[in-house]
Amino acid sequence: MAAAIVAARAPPGGGGAAAVIAYHHCASPSRALPLAAGPSAGGGVVVGRRYHHHGGACCFAAKPTQVAAEVDQGGAAEPGVASANAAVEAKPRKKARSRRGRKGKRSSSSETRTTAVLEEEEEVEVKEKKTEEDGEEGKRKEKAAGLDLDEVMAVSPVGLGRRSRQIFDEVWRKFSRLGQMSSASSTALAEEEQAVLIRGGPMCEFTVPGAQDTTVLVVGATSRIGRIVVRKLMLRGYNVKALVRRNDAEVIDMLPRSVDIVVGDVGDPSTVKSAVSGCSKIIYCATARSTITGDLNRVDNQGVRNVSKAFQDYYNELAQLRAGKSSKSKLLIAKFKSPKSLNGWEVDQGSYFPNTFASRFDEGIDASFDFSEAGQAVLSGFVFTRGGYVEISKRLSLPLGSTLDRYDGLLFSVGGNGRSYVVILETGPLADTSQSKKYFARMTTKVGFCRVRVPFSAFRPVNPQDPPLDPFLVHTLTIRFEPKRQRPGDGSQSATDPRNFELILEYIKALPTGQETDFILVSCSGSGIEPNRREQVLKAKKAGEDALRRSGLGYTIVRPGPLQEEPGGQRALIFDQGNRISQGISCADVADICVKALHDSTARNKSFDVCYEYVAEQGNELYELVAHLPDKANNYLTPALSVLEKNT
Amino acid sequence: MASSTSLAALPSQLASPARRAALSRSATARPRHHHHPLLREPPKGCRLVVTCNAQTAVPTSIAQGTPVRPTSILVVGATGTLGRQVVRRALDEGYDVRCLVRPRPAPADFLRDWGATVVNADLSKPETIPATLVGIHTVIDCATGRPEEPIRTVDWEGKVALIQCAKAMGIQKYVFYSIHNCDKHPEVPLMEIKHCTEKFIQDAGLDYLIIRLCGFMQGLIGQYAVPILEEKSVWGTDAPTRIAYMDTQDVARLTFIAMRNEKASKKLLTFAGPRAWTTQEVITLCERLAGQDANVTTVPVAVLRFTRQLTRFFQWTNDVADRLAFSEVLSSDTIFSVPMNDTYQLLGVDSKDILTLEKYLQDYFTNILKKLKDLKAQSKQTDIFF
Repeated sequence: MAAAIVAARAPPGGGGAAAVIAYHHCASPSRALPLAAGPSAGGGVVVGRRYHHHGGACCFAAKPTQVAAEVDQGGAAEPGVASANAAVEAKPRKKARSRRGRKGKRSSSSETRTTAVLEEEEEVEVKEKKTEEDGEEGKRKEKAAGLDLDEVMAVSPVGLGRRSRQIFDEVWRKFSRLGQMSSASSTALAEEEQAVLIRGGPMCEFTVPGAQDTTVLVVGATSRIGRIVVRKLMLRGYNVKALVRRNDAEVIDMLPRSVDIVVGDVGDPSTVKSAVSGCSKIIYCATARSTITGDLNRVDNQGVRNVSKAFQDYYNELAQLRAGKSSKSKLLIAKFKSPKSLNGWEVDQGSYFPNTFASRFDEGIDASFDFSEAGQAVLSGFVFTRGGYVEISKRLSLPLGSTLDRYDGLLFSVGGNGRSYVVILETGPLADTSQSKKYFARMTTKVGFCRVRVPFSAFRPVNPQDPPLDPFLVHTLTIRFEPKRQRPGDGSQSATDPRNFELILEYIKALPTGQETDFILVSCSGSGIEPNRREQVLKAKKAGEDALRRSGLGYTIVRPGPLQEEPGGQRALIFDQGNRISQGISCADVADICVKALHDSTARNKSFDVCYEYVAEQGNELYELVAHLPDKANNYLTPALSVLEKNT
Repeated sequence: MASSTSLAALPSQLASPARRAALSRSATARPRHHHHPLLREPPKGCRLVVTCNAQTAVPTSIAQGTPVRPTSILVVGATGTLGRQVVRRALDEGYDVRCLVRPRPAPADFLRDWGATVVNADLSKPETIPATLVGIHTVIDCATGRPEEPIRTVDWEGKVALIQCAKAMGIQKYVFYSIHNCDKHPEVPLMEIKHCTEKFIQDAGLDYLIIRLCGFMQGLIGQYAVPILEEKSVWGTDAPTRIAYMDTQDVARLTFIAMRNEKASKKLLTFAGPRAWTTQEVITLCERLAGQDANVTTVPVAVLRFTRQLTRFFQWTNDVADRLAFSEVLSSDTIFSVPMNDTYQLLGVDSKDILTLEKYLQDYFTNILKKLKDLKAQSKQTDIFF
């Protein structure tokens, strides 16, 4: 029957047929869109023109036609402009309606000047009748509101007439509204109210405070997740920048209009640099289109590296502008650039078994901390004593006004032969070292130079009864080497005896803390990829993740299960760490997690897997289950993430 | 075949006062067997061609083409109070939203800004409809004719065309918003049309979901809250009717929950707010929250009814009469509310999550008053500056 109407109104094979064809042959739904828009746009032109005359009061009030302008001297012009389309005046509305009624009769006859004049007359008639009919009410109202208007308008009869028209319109509008139920016509919301109720307004359910001041760069804005992320951000009133590869009309159409589009490739550092400037957060949901190693490397590894580097550079720029006083600046604890810089560091050796004779007969311990000719501070030596260790320590002297509690962890830039060290922090009153408490964390280095982040949260008390580390109280930093216990089977005779060590120190810095995450990376959990390519994909993703972790940015890495195209918020989610998830997850849920994580302090510096809940076998429940059902202002993310480890 | 002729003849009847009688008769006498012939055996040749085409097209296209994604929806009436909330909710839940919007001089840019696709079509011009339905899984219909235009163009003819088109093009779900108690007030044209549309959908053979609504809290703001703040007179009636107002955001949220719920398929649900209010109660609440007395002008319902009767006599005021038609409803001692417990249970929703009117208005007034204060502070500052 629909088609019947189509056929009746349009020539056969018109809009309807075209639509059906499009439906048949469309290769992809997105392709179908322009096709679909074609006929409707074609119709739209025609409709648009006729509509203008047919137009509702909205267009009537906003854009008075000739007729309206003449007859309606005041009514349409002033209040029409003032209250835009929402507060429609009753009078013009009625006229528009009556006119339309007539137009309906002569439907397709062409609009000529003569008919317009004719209408004008009719309208005057209408107006008069109307005024007679409801005049009494109008007058009553006029008296009420007439006090101030007398003074202003009394002089000019035209002004007076206009004013009384306005008042009458207002009264009529209210009167006719009385007979309505708001469900039937509550279209008359003024625009300023919309500001409160809708876009970023406090009463809109999606609103995030401060969203207007936050610019988010979405990398891969046209991806399955990225599309939804952009929409969610727009709904919440964020400023959104989108990095896309191609500047096609198709791509542009896909993104909301007020999105700031940057064209570029994540593999190209220069475009990335321009993209990140001005942004305060990044959501990275680009992923390689193929599993070709080059592609994977470019997007999933090098891309993340480039973007995080560019963003960190941008932060550093900001930090420099404020001469290191920015909240983004790291705090330099020690820099080993000259022989003098070694002052204050004490080399010490000891043993965990102070009373055993055995240590005496062992080969012994040797250690030195020197500034080499190559300009490097090198801690080297060997520990052959069983239970022996070597350490260097320094009492920290922080610049005035800065305390470590504003920092998140320590960053070591070191080189050497890739041994594992223990970092020990001492807290307590400076005067009495006997009361100090010790906290330790392991730091694993690589052969060659690397940077290692050791978050304060990783430190454990030496004495289990002690409270967790309070960075504010830290006064001494120690780096200790202790050889790993040799296993009997180990071929320890190889060139790298684990009891030899060499540690080249470049600098030690404290990482600034942040309440929020800076960079959200959508990675993948690995399940659901075809097995023969999984290794490569995961390798690239892993490298990208590592690059981000080392960048020093506050990061959140989301590793969703296989993505499904379905609406989000329907099923409970599992947040987990450690490659144990097996279920899929909808793109919308991943997008939701990304957006929620932007302002969630528990999401900072976390990597986690996420998927739909599944029913675990009896006795096999390994998961922390955090169910959520969609509801207003539901923040499922904070409780889910607060139980997960940081800096994994 | 009476209904088919009346359908075809409706456009020409539009302007005549007699059409009211014609429609109500045809609507009440519009049983099941009248519709199916329309859908299955179209009477005229030219109709036959396209109808067959569309009906046979559906299975083949599913077999050969890309299957329609369940996340693609079309929202009709997306610029309305409810429509825009539906669009927002849909976008947030990850749907690909297409909005059917009438071509207009000021395009609905805000929809595009949120990430929806806007297509131009006019329900009163059925030839523009099919193209908009391509690749759509679910149609959500929140369109209601603007109060200033003849009710039949959009609300009846347009809807009939849309539903038939949806059927022909294999739309897999049709969500329709109706009005509570619409079957009990055939004298109100809008409610009568809604009721007829409900029946039409039920007979069309689509998978549908009909949601009857009572009243929106958003409507109260313009009607009572703003005038009270501006110290203008508030017009109320002395009607004893109670309406259980509901937040449109809640309506949109529940809609999507219901839409995905298999148990709610082909059901008629009624959404009502937590409590039913009379006009007087709402005004009192607004006064309390605004901290100032309202200048209330109470118009007896009798006056409204009288005006309606009066306006009905003239052809050119017929639409005014239609608009005032709710006075009939108001004067009857109805409560626009339903117990929601079963619905909550069906949808798995907690009743605590549904916003109450007190909370809603309180939020509104707190925000508005804060804004006003900010504005005042700003203007003071500029005073100092200059």
